[in-house]
Amino acid sequence: MLTWLILLPVIAAAIVALVPRRLKELHLPLGIALSVLPLALAGYVFWVFEPVAGYQFVEQATWYEPWGISWSLGIDGISIPMVLLTVILVPIALAASTSITRRTKEFVVYALLLEAGMIGVFLSLDLFLFFVFFEAILIPMYFIIGIWGSDRRVYAAMKFFIYTAFGSALMLAGIIALAVTHADQFGTTSFALSDLMNVELSVGAERWIFAAFALAFAIKVPLFPLHTWLPDAHTEAPTAGSVLLAGVLLKLGTYGLLRFNLSLFPETSVDAAWIMGILAVIGIIYGAVVAIVQPDLKKLVAYSSVSHLGFIVLGTFALTSGGLQGAVIQNVNHGLITGALFLLVGMIYERRHTKQISEFGGLQKVMPIYAGFFLFMVFASIGLPGLSGFVGEFLILVSSFTTLPILAVIAASGVVLAAIYLLWAYERVFTGVPDKENLGLSDLSVREISLLAPLAILVLVIGLYPNILLDKIAPSTESVLDHIEQQTEYVVPVPGRLSDVFVADGDHE
Amino acid sequence: MIVTPEVSWISILPELVLAIGAAAVLLIDVQYKPVTRVLGGVAAFTLFVATIFTWLQWVQVGDVSVSGVFGALGELVVFSGMIVMDGYAVFGRFALLLMAALGIAAGWKLLESLNRRGAEAIALILLATAGFSIMVASNNLVMMFLGLEVGSISLYILAGLTREKAMADEAAMKYFLLGSFASAIFVYGVALLYAGTGQFEILAIRQFFSDFVVTSPAVVMIGLGLIIVGLGFKVSAAPFHSWAPDVYQGAPAGVVGYMAAMAKIAGFLAIARILLTGVPQLEDSWLPVMAGLSALSMLVGSIVALVQSDIRRMLAYSGVAHAGFIMTGIVGGATTGMLFYVAVYALQLIGSFAVVAVVSGPGSSGSAIDEYRGLGRRSPALAMAFTVLLLGMAGLPLTSGFIAKFGVFSEAWANGFEWLVIVALLASVVAFGFYLRVIVAMYMDETEAEEVVVSAVARWVLAIAVVGTVLMGILPAPLIDFAANAFPL
Repeated sequence: MLTWLILLPVIAAAIVALVPRRLKELHLPLGIALSVLPLALAGYVFWVFEPVAGYQFVEQATWYEPWGISWSLGIDGISIPMVLLTVILVPIALAASTSITRRTKEFVVYALLLEAGMIGVFLSLDLFLFFVFFEAILIPMYFIIGIWGSDRRVYAAMKFFIYTAFGSALMLAGIIALAVTHADQFGTTSFALSDLMNVELSVGAERWIFAAFALAFAIKVPLFPLHTWLPDAHTEAPTAGSVLLAGVLLKLGTYGLLRFNLSLFPETSVDAAWIMGILAVIGIIYGAVVAIVQPDLKKLVAYSSVSHLGFIVLGTFALTSGGLQGAVIQNVNHGLITGALFLLVGMIYERRHTKQISEFGGLQKVMPIYAGFFLFMVFASIGLPGLSGFVGEFLILVSSFTTLPILAVIAASGVVLAAIYLLWAYERVFTGVPDKENLGLSDLSVREISLLAPLAILVLVIGLYPNILLDKIAPSTESVLDHIEQQTEYVVPVPGRLSDVFVADGDHE
Repeated sequence: MIVTPEVSWISILPELVLAIGAAAVLLIDVQYKPVTRVLGGVAAFTLFVATIFTWLQWVQVGDVSVSGVFGALGELVVFSGMIVMDGYAVFGRFALLLMAALGIAAGWKLLESLNRRGAEAIALILLATAGFSIMVASNNLVMMFLGLEVGSISLYILAGLTREKAMADEAAMKYFLLGSFASAIFVYGVALLYAGTGQFEILAIRQFFSDFVVTSPAVVMIGLGLIIVGLGFKVSAAPFHSWAPDVYQGAPAGVVGYMAAMAKIAGFLAIARILLTGVPQLEDSWLPVMAGLSALSMLVGSIVALVQSDIRRMLAYSGVAHAGFIMTGIVGGATTGMLFYVAVYALQLIGSFAVVAVVSGPGSSGSAIDEYRGLGRRSPALAMAFTVLLLGMAGLPLTSGFIAKFGVFSEAWANGFEWLVIVALLASVVAFGFYLRVIVAMYMDETEAEEVVVSAVARWVLAIAVVGTVLMGILPAPLIDFAANAFPL
């Protein structure tokens, strides 16, 4: 089943690739139609997914015995929201790419391959396999930015590639170190996550390997001061590229920290929690402050990502039930909200061919529906209660207050700053009297509304009834904390462990 | 040392066939003056027969190494200790024969355009293959030198095939002068090693060091050092690489891939055999040296390649970097990863130069990266093939390059050279930079230039190189198993 989840996009890409170039009107619709298949399959997986700890739908096939590598897939409460996010965003990103008229076929193929790679990263239970997917997705993303981006696309694509490759190179050293240590201790080489979790590392070695993994993921997230590739990549990437980059690719970093750093290096995770927390909070404040002064709408959204992803890292290293749950659910929220914001920026760019905030004004009179969606997403991003952004940030802030109180207080000001940069941007773009250039703009078409509506509905549903996800997330995040408690002296503080904020019924605890 | 009096023909049959094939090509050419196609057929048949004999060797080697442990060694070291018939030599032969076949195919346009000289070129390719093949199978250092020279001298001439061009002339001359210099250094090293141990045979040298403790090892060490320098030159490891960019740039495009691949395969197999089988007891002395050379090669190769504007010079420097990566396998103290790496890299190299020969013309010297602008639009299939090969050399997952790098790095890490692995990983990130530059030129730059026509033979070469690169990246098990079983005696 899970193998098919990875294979479907690959097959879809192959089908699109086989359609001859002269039928170029066909490629994009075909790609969109085919990308619904993984969505349906993932929906089914979500439907039958049992809200219990541990991996489900596990598949295992030996890849190369002497090296101990295997095609080993499984899904749990931490990865299932990420997979869903991926399969939802890809069709939407493709459908939003009608403005791509040049080399459409290749674009669709790369997007579908990217989807396969991202799903693969979330499903891998073998570190070798994980690394293969983690690194392989660089290629399609590199092409998407480099071919269909704007003016400085080659520079941005190269920067994106080299930054990420640098991080993953050191992570590969860490993976090799783990496997070699495992071979020393158990006599067999293995890259399975469950096996490597049993490796006894010396304190020094554990710190180094933790650092190697953390660096790779921190570049992906990106954490301050490793974020400089992100604004470039976002500004130059086409809309679909930005949506997938912000929506899913950045989550590989936060997902990796949660899945690998916490489980493989519990001791160091506890010891280094405050360092990661400080970096996260610097990111929150720095991203927000820089976002305030951005003259470019897309860059503003890009920096807001830096800020919001800081919350997710903070929640992860709060090492409490609420923090982990908040981190996972905020991954989803950020994907939906920022994805929608990038779509919105892309839509206005197609009309006005500029992203400069100063060029706009009074748009809510000319484009009321557009303004409505924009305001909705702005509120969701700020964290207005009732919308999904609130759930994640609230969980994260409340629970990090129990373990990292000072950082939580500083981080909370990030919410205020978010209100400043987003609402101020809204004010400049949408209020006032529209000038001549802006008067002629047409409001959203039915097609564009149909792209935004699903995202808006999801934001609302998760905001009103977060248990739809939290029920399935909680058992898995609890088992991560259980593992940390077993391996270290660390005890999850009681108010943080109750996970009573939203999962009050306690059926599955 | 066990000496067998009888002649074991099977152990040198592939080389005999190759030499006879080379002679046949020349004689047929003189007598009948056929079209080049006929000679190509003779060469193909020769390579085919040599491959069959190599396969027979593999069957026999497998038999003996399964049945008897050390007592049977005598059957494998033949011709009074000159030749060793082990899986390692068989692996090397297979790789060399495959590269020779692909090399002739990749350079086919060039060979045809040379008219009468085409026969010489084909004969030289077969002779070079025979020489390098003997080199990987020699147990005796003098024998190894003979093989090296037969191979190298053939390559010097091949570099100057289009001698009307000043650049090709210069390339051949440089290659010849520096190459003979390196060969001389190698021989001097062999002589000093002989002076220190009284042995020419690699297995006997190992026996010597396990029987005796050498109290003043200076002579042996200098000898070993000179051997490393001489062979390091052949595989273009830094700091002995300065000839490579000029030769790759100047020599006719059709044969560069073959030249580079052959020298790398034979050179590395020889280095590893001498170090790992001959002097494993001196490990403490040569491991740091090899690690240092490896790190230097990776860094120099990767960094200098970044600033090249000619794709062949770039590939030459990338070859320097790859020499460093391959040496991490030797530093890892095992041959499995190294054999796998050498084989897949040689394939990528031949494929890449096949692309160069198509884009710049088979007899051309020099190919600016600018020639590749917009290739993604002009010839999508060719550009896609080149992209796969470049990503393979860069070592991205799902290509053979990744598996190869992973293999040698794991070995080096397990052998205690963590720092070298980290340097290697960082160097591979730097290397992404220049591989991507070519991809940028192909896909992200526009041009007015026209579509490139790819001949049927070149298509086959590219198909094999690309399929091999992807297949070995996804299902590497058979080749790794083969490499693991093909250990030197």
